[in-house]
Amino acid sequence: MNDAPAPVPIDPARESYLGRASIVWLIPLIALIIALAVAWQSYNDRGPLIFVEFENGAGIAAGQTELRFRDVSVGLVENVTFAEGLDGVIAQIRLEKDIAEFVDAGASFWVVQPELSVQGVSGLDTVLSGIFIEGSWDSQVGPIRTRFKGLESAPLFRPGKDGLQLALRTTPGGSLTDNAPILFRGIEVGRVGPARISREGSFAIAEAIIYEPHGRLITRATRFWDTSGFSVSLGPAGAEVDFSSIASLVGGGLTFDTFVSGGRRVTDGTVFEVYPDQISARNSVFNASETELLELRVIFDENISGLAIGAPVEWSGLRIGSVESLSGIVDEEAFGDNRVRLDVVIGIQPARLGLQEEVNPESALEFMRVRVSEGLRARLATGSLLTGGLKVELVEVEDAEPATILVSPDEIATLPATDSEISDATATVEGVFTRINSLPIEELLNSAIGFMQSAEAFVSSEELRETPQEVRALLGDVRGIVTSEDVQNIPASLNAALSRIEASLAQIDEGQAVERVVAAIDAATEAAGSVNASVAGVPELIDNLSSVAAKAEAMPLEELTEQLTELLGSADAILGTPAAQDLPASLGAALDELNATLAELREGGAVRNVNATLSSAREAADAVALSSKDLPALVERITDVFDQASRTIEGYNRGDVLSRDAQAALRDISEAADAITSLVRLLERNPSALIRGR
Amino acid sequence: MERVEQDGEIINARDLGVVACTRCLQVWPQEVQTCARCGRRLVQRDVKSLQRVWAWWIVGLMCYIPANLYPMLRTRTLFYVQEDTIVGGAIELIHYGNVGIALIILLASVAIPMGKFMAIAFLAFSVTRPSAISQNQRQMLYEVVEYIGRWSMSDIFVVAILSSLVQLKILVAINPGLASLFFALSVIFTMLSAQAFDSRMIWDAQQQGKGQK
Repeated sequence: MNDAPAPVPIDPARESYLGRASIVWLIPLIALIIALAVAWQSYNDRGPLIFVEFENGAGIAAGQTELRFRDVSVGLVENVTFAEGLDGVIAQIRLEKDIAEFVDAGASFWVVQPELSVQGVSGLDTVLSGIFIEGSWDSQVGPIRTRFKGLESAPLFRPGKDGLQLALRTTPGGSLTDNAPILFRGIEVGRVGPARISREGSFAIAEAIIYEPHGRLITRATRFWDTSGFSVSLGPAGAEVDFSSIASLVGGGLTFDTFVSGGRRVTDGTVFEVYPDQISARNSVFNASETELLELRVIFDENISGLAIGAPVEWSGLRIGSVESLSGIVDEEAFGDNRVRLDVVIGIQPARLGLQEEVNPESALEFMRVRVSEGLRARLATGSLLTGGLKVELVEVEDAEPATILVSPDEIATLPATDSEISDATATVEGVFTRINSLPIEELLNSAIGFMQSAEAFVSSEELRETPQEVRALLGDVRGIVTSEDVQNIPASLNAALSRIEASLAQIDEGQAVERVVAAIDAATEAAGSVNASVAGVPELIDNLSSVAAKAEAMPLEELTEQLTELLGSADAILGTPAAQDLPASLGAALDELNATLAELREGGAVRNVNATLSSAREAADAVALSSKDLPALVERITDVFDQASRTIEGYNRGDVLSRDAQAALRDISEAADAITSLVRLLERNPSALIRGR
Repeated sequence: MERVEQDGEIINARDLGVVACTRCLQVWPQEVQTCARCGRRLVQRDVKSLQRVWAWWIVGLMCYIPANLYPMLRTRTLFYVQEDTIVGGAIELIHYGNVGIALIILLASVAIPMGKFMAIAFLAFSVTRPSAISQNQRQMLYEVVEYIGRWSMSDIFVVAILSSLVQLKILVAINPGLASLFFALSVIFTMLSAQAFDSRMIWDAQQQGKGQK
């Protein structure tokens, strides 16, 4: 079969390059495209790198520590390096692109760590997840910045915690708890940030925030005080321990209150003072409600003890302020040597300077400036002789060296000082004691003892002892008279006399005597009323008495004692005279004479006369009996009067002070009564004087 | 086989004018297009085999790079999170003194995959140019590569078991890292690459070499 075609060498058709390629090549191609796409995307999505410098690493780990904003991760620490000079740690943080534009110059960063404090536990989530860096920035896009300084702790003011931003300042010499909560009615409504001390060290100032919506609680009249610690008081209700909460007891805290209503709302940045306790805070509303204090600084060359915080600042005797703080100061540059000087800050109440126009610290300072140029200087002066306490006195020194108030920004103006005027109180007090010491007390006592001895001798003298017997004899005589018939008849006569009196009273009755008596009693009632009214005047009386007593106290003690001694001496002498010794004998004689007189009486018709008189008295008594039917009414009125008097006296008793004073008065009266008693005793001792009319 | 080689002459199927089905191994005359038993298309030599080998090989290598750069395991305990790459984890184990386990990991996850890449690349090169290694050895290498390929998945297996078992909420949790995905892909692609290789070409190379002589 030739038909069979000759074998033709067949070259395999050259396939196209693509045709020869396997479809499987697409896979590496796709993989490559994906890889490139992913790489480009991740590069494109990469935010900027920022550098935040912290004081220490605090657990920041590269590749792990997140940057969070409002607790959402917005970045990651890529690297942790040391700052230049090894004085810090720089965390390089890769920000997320969509948030990066907000991280501007106003951003702040701090490390959130688990923290265990008296206010509680915070950042506990970081125990499990590791620490993170918290960032804070506002929603405004600002100029880009890449280098930041990390904060040590969370800032007080940050977006998301809106509130009223205040500054709290201690009272000079006071204290302040920083990083503490501000409580109101036991609820935390704000926080105090870290405090810093003012340049001259006289007060501390701290930023504080009152969270919304509590900012409306703060007005100009609001006062803050420290509630840290506790107070113990002893009172009629027993002992009381007072503290606001355990947390504030341990960690401190502040609270506030608005004691007077109507204060204006405050704006951010207002400065408030922090008072040590509620009482002083409350007082400050009323004391210093006038205006702020003008604070001045005085540096005294001499460093004398005795000046205390709160000591008065006086100007021509008028108290215009008080000492706010005290400290020593050594400043070689300013004074030329390194002696310790007394650095006193005084607070002057501008309202007390009598300024005419606006009353505020600025105008007061201006006023002081003028006065200083005319010679006003501050000096230390003795405030109290006994305690040796000092005060600051503002005096105008004539031909003083020219000086001015030194005013420098951020510091308290300094008032020039002059030489102190301190009297030696100790010497004076010593003199007083020396005089008291030299009083002749021993002599006085000796004389008193002598007097007592003489008195005893007198009392124990035999004549005096015999006197009772003579008295008994006298009584026997009297009894004899009484038992005599004439005397027995006296009742009958008396009866007759009473009936006569009765008759005369009947006459009196006709003359409307009872009405008069009643009127008299009314008058007495009124009088009692007026007594009641006049009681109001008693305190004054007592004041007078006190002053009299004071005068009495002020009387020369020494002379009195001497006179007393003399008096006792002469009394002694009198008692020692023979005349005094003879007194009992004279007494006996007097009794004899009395006896004789009674005998005379018995002999004479005296008794009969008495009888007659008594019979007329009886008649009078009858008349009284008749008129006595008006007596019940009388008695009622008298009862009323007594009731009123009793009420009055109750009134006396109720007023404690009054009654105390009244007691004092009564004591005086009782002393007067004693005097009368002693007079009576004198008479008793010398009855013959009475009997003889001599 | 040793004996055959000693004979110096190897007669292959092409020389005999037959073709074997690659699936059911039934031998057919060369003209037959499809295997009548299993229906598979019969080819004398897969001409695109090498292309496929290289393609899969490249993708496999591409996946192997992130598999070593990204963390394999993400261990989160109560206090910290630890992410370990394959090599990093092994080094850490050595620091802890577990040298044996570290060596196993290094062998299974580094040495074997790297060896596979090199072996496949070597085989693919050796079919186009002469090589110093005999065909029998190369055939054996190919068989070892194909056999051992699936065992590389044991790494992924361990990661999968660990991350499904150790999930104690906040205390401890183990999660597979990104690398495990790439490692698995890498293993898959290298296996595909090894499978794409038509081992019959090993023997062709010698024929060509002989023909040129």
